[in-house]
Amino acid sequence: MPGVIVKELTKRYGEVAAVEGLSLEVKPRELVALLGPSGCGKTTTLRVVAGFLRPEAGEIWVGDRCLSSPSAVVPPERRRMAMIFQSYALWPHMTVAQNVAYGLRFKQEVSRAERERRVREILKVVHLEGFESRYPGELSGGQQQRVAVARSLVVEPEILLLDEPLSNLDANLREEMRFEIRRLHEAFGITTLYVTHDQAEAMVISDRIAVLYRGRLVQIGTAHQLFEQPRTRFVADFIGKTNLIDGVAAAPDRVARGGLSLRVASASLKPGAAVTVSIRPHEIALAPASSPRTPGEGVNVLRGTVQRTSYLGDAIDYQVQVDGSDVVLRVAGPPPAAVRAGQEVTLTLPAAACVPLTDSD
Amino acid sequence: MDRSIPVWVAAALALVVLMALPLGWIGWVSVSSESGPTLAHYATVFQDPQLQKALWNTVVMAFWVGLASVALGAPMAWLTARTDLPGQTLIRGLIMASFVTPPFLGAFAWVMLAGPNAGLLNKLYRNLSGADDALVNIFTMPGLIFVVAIYTFPYVYIMIANTLALIASDLEEAAAILGAGRLRVAATVTLPMVAPAILSGFILAVLQALALFGSPAILALPAGFHTITTQIWSFFHYPPKVEMAAAFSIPLLLATALLLQVQKRLLGRRGYASIGGKGGRRRAIPLGLWRYPALGGCLALLACAIFLPYGVLAKAALSRAWAQPLTWDNLTLANFTFTFFEYSATQSAVLNTLELGVMTATVGAGLAALLAYVTNRRLIIGHQVLAFLALAPIVIPGVVLAVGLFIAYTRPPLLLYGTLWILFVAYVTKEMPVGYSQADATFKGVHPELEDAGRILGAGRLRVLGEITAPLARSGIIATWCFIFIGVIRELSASIILFTPATKVISVVIFDLKEEGQFGPIAVLGLFMLAMTFGTVVLMQRVLGRDFMGAKE
Repeated sequence: MPGVIVKELTKRYGEVAAVEGLSLEVKPRELVALLGPSGCGKTTTLRVVAGFLRPEAGEIWVGDRCLSSPSAVVPPERRRMAMIFQSYALWPHMTVAQNVAYGLRFKQEVSRAERERRVREILKVVHLEGFESRYPGELSGGQQQRVAVARSLVVEPEILLLDEPLSNLDANLREEMRFEIRRLHEAFGITTLYVTHDQAEAMVISDRIAVLYRGRLVQIGTAHQLFEQPRTRFVADFIGKTNLIDGVAAAPDRVARGGLSLRVASASLKPGAAVTVSIRPHEIALAPASSPRTPGEGVNVLRGTVQRTSYLGDAIDYQVQVDGSDVVLRVAGPPPAAVRAGQEVTLTLPAAACVPLTDSD
Repeated sequence: MDRSIPVWVAAALALVVLMALPLGWIGWVSVSSESGPTLAHYATVFQDPQLQKALWNTVVMAFWVGLASVALGAPMAWLTARTDLPGQTLIRGLIMASFVTPPFLGAFAWVMLAGPNAGLLNKLYRNLSGADDALVNIFTMPGLIFVVAIYTFPYVYIMIANTLALIASDLEEAAAILGAGRLRVAATVTLPMVAPAILSGFILAVLQALALFGSPAILALPAGFHTITTQIWSFFHYPPKVEMAAAFSIPLLLATALLLQVQKRLLGRRGYASIGGKGGRRRAIPLGLWRYPALGGCLALLACAIFLPYGVLAKAALSRAWAQPLTWDNLTLANFTFTFFEYSATQSAVLNTLELGVMTATVGAGLAALLAYVTNRRLIIGHQVLAFLALAPIVIPGVVLAVGLFIAYTRPPLLLYGTLWILFVAYVTKEMPVGYSQADATFKGVHPELEDAGRILGAGRLRVLGEITAPLARSGIIATWCFIFIGVIRELSASIILFTPATKVISVVIFDLKEEGQFGPIAVLGLFMLAMTFGTVVLMQRVLGRDFMGAKE
């Protein structure tokens, strides 16, 4: 089972670069999600990998085969890949069985009987036994999705590509299918590239997430790494909710903004450099100003005034104006609400949770 | 190397040759003489008072036809699209019938109805009033405008009805809830949104009128005046003055190109008319007491376009003397036997027409499909140029195209004049815009991911085209075939210049019969042509599962 290597990939549409200098490695049997907002180049990258687009620069390698370069592109039909499309792309004039069997027809070594056996088997895997002779138009959205999955898996591709496959499903079904896709990945172990703009989906499904922004790879890592140690402002903001405070490094481990000064989770800042600090709302502890506090080592303690509290069911969302500063922090706390709007509070921010971001993006 | 590329390039080259040859020759011949390049032909053409008169007549006719078409088409579009007018299906059906009726047949029918002496309406008038004069004379400019307009207004109707169908009632209700009265809503919301459609419908009608040959030839020539198209045709009378015809074609070509450009501008900004169009419900506006007068008005117009002409054709086909009352003595099938078995030209003309219809529709639909596929999937460099070229013949009136083809194919290396091939080339060229638009709409409806899915699973491009795209596009392509077929069997304006005695088609035979004053056989052939047309329309509607003017039932 080979992996995929994307080397310095650039794809332009006219003057506009959709992808620029993107390098990425998907290890054998790994599932990597390409995550980013619309227009970040993730689908373009996927379509170059699939062979539908010719790159202006860079190469696509699968194992020891160079599949795409500016001078030569192996056509999609000879890449031993499979792809699941946003629209599912089920052929409306073919039955479920014909749709699923289509790719097997191009494998000489698979006999007709073997083909039928494999189609039956894969339909069982995706829980669609008995649907062989239905047409796609007669299936629900979720069932169509399963046919698309079956059609791709049955050919036992070396590489599986998915282009926002869940975006046409309603919320409940989408969540269910996330686990289903992960289960199938663990069962089949096919090297997979998965395009999505939904960070929760990427976190559930993938081994690693590659965050793309404006045609470039900004960070790649496990969900945990991206959440805990975002390297750029964009990643911190895109993966989960966060507070971003723009300031200046005052010391190797300290960032200041106006009257506010925070100890951060680094000791190597260059004093005078512009730094953005990211703090997740749930990392901040909030208490009424009157309650006794126990400032410890490596903890920032701030005072502020609650501007608004919002009840979200499983959490309370506080907006707190920090005293002597223009900074408003969002704080997530467990219900019931500890304070009301207008009250003075004390905020406790562990230095380890104050992540300094030095990249400009 | 993609093995499919030669297919796309071949289709593209065929198109380029098809378009470039005739136009290039017209341009060249219009400025060349034995002693080198010259503008003498233009000078002759534009200084001749008779030709100036023909130009002016054409402008007058086209303008009034455009105006009349809007006056007829716009109210009917509103009535059928937005009100509770009774009998809407019937009215739409009849408008469609008038859309596919060859205008020159309508003109013939109206000669029988409103000719100053023998015209049935005039005879009726004289009987009723005892007067000696004719009530109406169709051989006049107003008569010509009337006959052309009743077969041209469907273009305006379709344009406006389709636009109105996109405007959700919400948009109007939004204005109403803010305090606008019914008239105000119409004036400030509805009308501005359909204004581009009305204007471009007007232009479309003017274009149709400009390019028309049959009706002016039947009505204007006996009345003693020419239009551009009949004038060009008369340049081909012995001895042919090809360079004059070429020079006289250029202004017509430029006028159509200019008008189309204006129309494209108008439609290009049409986007806003359809915003919020999807899903928005449309509620029928109650007409109240006006329901039946409105229905009566619509039917009266359609009587002029359909009932009266079809009736008089049927009468003429079945009677010994068409102008006499239809009594038992007068009833006969002799016209049918004469037309199909005794008149020498008919049988070969029917065969030629069918042969050309099937051949043109098949090749044309195939070529249009390939080109639309190339442009939709952007398969080769310069695909935008192909789309432009495929639509370009819209600007070429049939007569002008014929002039170009006549010049291009009466000399080596391609001596096609005198064969069916020159008609075939003319028809393919002329029908390409219709075919291309149909095929283009078809492929826009086939999601490219359906093809991508086939590719990634191991099928090559041609295989995907055959196994996935073709079955999905089939009904659209059959409809394209039908559209082209209908266009070909009724074609007159190019055929009338390109035919030779061995290559007559039905429309040309009808035209010949007119010279001989044989109204019975004309009526028979006319009905035969209508039967073929409606048969094809029915087939197409079954394939498409909808009304072919664009609206879903």
